[in-house]
Amino acid sequence: MTVYTQNPPHIRSRESNASLMLSVIVAMLPLYAIATYFYGPRAVLLGLTGALSAGVTDALCMYLGGRVPNLRDFSSIVTGLMIPLLLPATVRYNIVIVAVLFGIAVAKQPFGGVGENIFNPAAAGMAFAIVCWPADVFSYPVPFERIPLFLTADTVFRVGTSPAKALALGGLPANTLIDTLMGNVPGPMGCTSVLVLFTCLLFLAVRRAVHVRATLAFLAGAAALAVLTPRAGGRAALYEMMCGMLPFAAVFMINDPVTSPKRSLPMLVYGATTGVISILFRHLGSYEESVIFAILVMNSAVWMLDLWGEHLARERRREKHDAGTRAGVPAASRKNVRHSQK
Amino acid sequence: MSGSGHSGYKGILLEQNKEPLLSKGIKQLEKLPVQEQHYLDSRVDPANMTPESLVIAARQAQIVDESDGTQLWKKLEQALEDSRRAIVVDALDDEPYISSQLCVALWMPGELEEAIDLLRRQLRIDRAVVEIYRNLTDIFTPIPKRIGEYRVRRVGGTYPAEKRIRRGESRLFKVGACALIHLYRAVFQKRVQTTSFVSVAGDCIANPANYEVPLNATVGQVLNAAGLLAQPKRIVVGGSMTGTGIGDPEAVRVLSATRGILAFAEQFEDFGFSCIGCGRCVDVCPQGLSPYFIYKFLRAHQQNIAAHAAQGCTCCGACSYICPAKLDLSHRIYLAASAGRRQKEKS
Repeated sequence: MTVYTQNPPHIRSRESNASLMLSVIVAMLPLYAIATYFYGPRAVLLGLTGALSAGVTDALCMYLGGRVPNLRDFSSIVTGLMIPLLLPATVRYNIVIVAVLFGIAVAKQPFGGVGENIFNPAAAGMAFAIVCWPADVFSYPVPFERIPLFLTADTVFRVGTSPAKALALGGLPANTLIDTLMGNVPGPMGCTSVLVLFTCLLFLAVRRAVHVRATLAFLAGAAALAVLTPRAGGRAALYEMMCGMLPFAAVFMINDPVTSPKRSLPMLVYGATTGVISILFRHLGSYEESVIFAILVMNSAVWMLDLWGEHLARERRREKHDAGTRAGVPAASRKNVRHSQK
Repeated sequence: MSGSGHSGYKGILLEQNKEPLLSKGIKQLEKLPVQEQHYLDSRVDPANMTPESLVIAARQAQIVDESDGTQLWKKLEQALEDSRRAIVVDALDDEPYISSQLCVALWMPGELEEAIDLLRRQLRIDRAVVEIYRNLTDIFTPIPKRIGEYRVRRVGGTYPAEKRIRRGESRLFKVGACALIHLYRAVFQKRVQTTSFVSVAGDCIANPANYEVPLNATVGQVLNAAGLLAQPKRIVVGGSMTGTGIGDPEAVRVLSATRGILAFAEQFEDFGFSCIGCGRCVDVCPQGLSPYFIYKFLRAHQQNIAAHAAQGCTCCGACSYICPAKLDLSHRIYLAASAGRRQKEKS
């Protein structure tokens, strides 16, 4: 009889990397459905392009780095599916591919691949696309415009003013709040339907795939600054919270496990600061939407927040130890306490 | 799962899998009959017990307390020296599959009560309480409010409950339920501890139950006597969270403190996942450590920092259990912590 000796524990939770990533992918499917409803099947093709190029790039990078690509690792697919949702439905396929390439081959794999990256790959890829092709990335078609699968030089589609653009120009968006909530406004193809995004967040929270506290802190920080510094009238803050990529970033990017702090308090600080910075960038920056840049800026500060969190935890442990020694711990464990405090 | 952040205590909620073991009661294996063995010592007289004779009985009967693996007579001697406030009978069983203490408490209440009575009289302690884990949702057997005249205290919370309640309570006399049964037998029947109460379970076992197994029987004998449905790929001696995986079942024997033998048909496969930094291990660590960072330090060959950060690890295994990348966190952290301790002792 062959018996394998394995280290304890001898039971393991059923959750795995694959199931976690799969639940994020499942959470993104409704967004593709609603994008297809608004803009036609091109949305699906954009998603497939993103996923395929991400998978291939990731495998190629691992192969070049002398590692074996892991077929159960869906993290690159998540990145590949995320980037098209942040882009307009009329975006050229090569922009999607270049954004994915940058995200995976520059922001993820050189740092050591999955789990080691400092910057969110999807955010990095999007930032690259925004910087290189701002006109393409920020020209949003109006909803229910049938967009052909492949654009030619004489393809014509109506471009609308997104709520984020209207706010950046100093006015209130012409769309009603209900339309903005439903996603019936020009915008990135996966970021406009706030209600669907909220449902996705509920799904992820119930599956425990993400930390909801980062999302809540992010929304709270953004809302606080949006209310304190309204760009146009009283209702502007409501639009501010529902326009652009901010709702999508709140659900899928701010709580990315790899690039966010691990302890509760640093995570709250991280979320709130990102929220504040994203609204600040909207006020001061030249792009209509800059939450991507806010995330990248805060990603670079995560290591500091993590260090701070570990210090806090260590202090708390020490306090508990001291309290234990005072209460009269048995001799054997008192020895251990002294041992650990040396 | 994440619990309150302020207490610093989190842990995990586990499926307990204590049935059908618990409702079957304590059984004996036909192929491994229990042989009674008696000691001769005129100083032990059930009708006229003294504290000294209690210690002698425990010593003659070679009773080992299964809750901490120490010899019962030493614990009794220590308790006689310094005054204790209360007797706490450990029937917690917060590890999945393991239910031998709980089973003893539920199915042998008379003997348990007698033994507690005896302890109370001889140690001159007024209060006694039986501790049973609260989060047992999938059991068919109702847990009584009292065992005899002694109150049952349900210990709530998540998995390493045993480790948590042990913290900083030096004035309690803690004793395992199985050891009390053996003490009862030692005093009233003058029997030496020749058996151990063992939970035999797992998906390979044909007749999972709590068995009274003679000491020195090999694990292989116990498994064969309980019946095997399939060839097990993993055999564990001890609890499902903290037990030891063994390679040769014929080479390992049942000891006085053995509480469980588990056999599983599936082994864990290595899918080659790498840490995605989800932070679940940090969430569940009952000691407030950060397995994530210790793992990162170990991967960066920073043994000293890792050993420093791993201080206070109780090896409960919660981090390894929850890890979605199936990393062997608990074991690596244990190795780092013990290496750090060794280094400190050397210097």
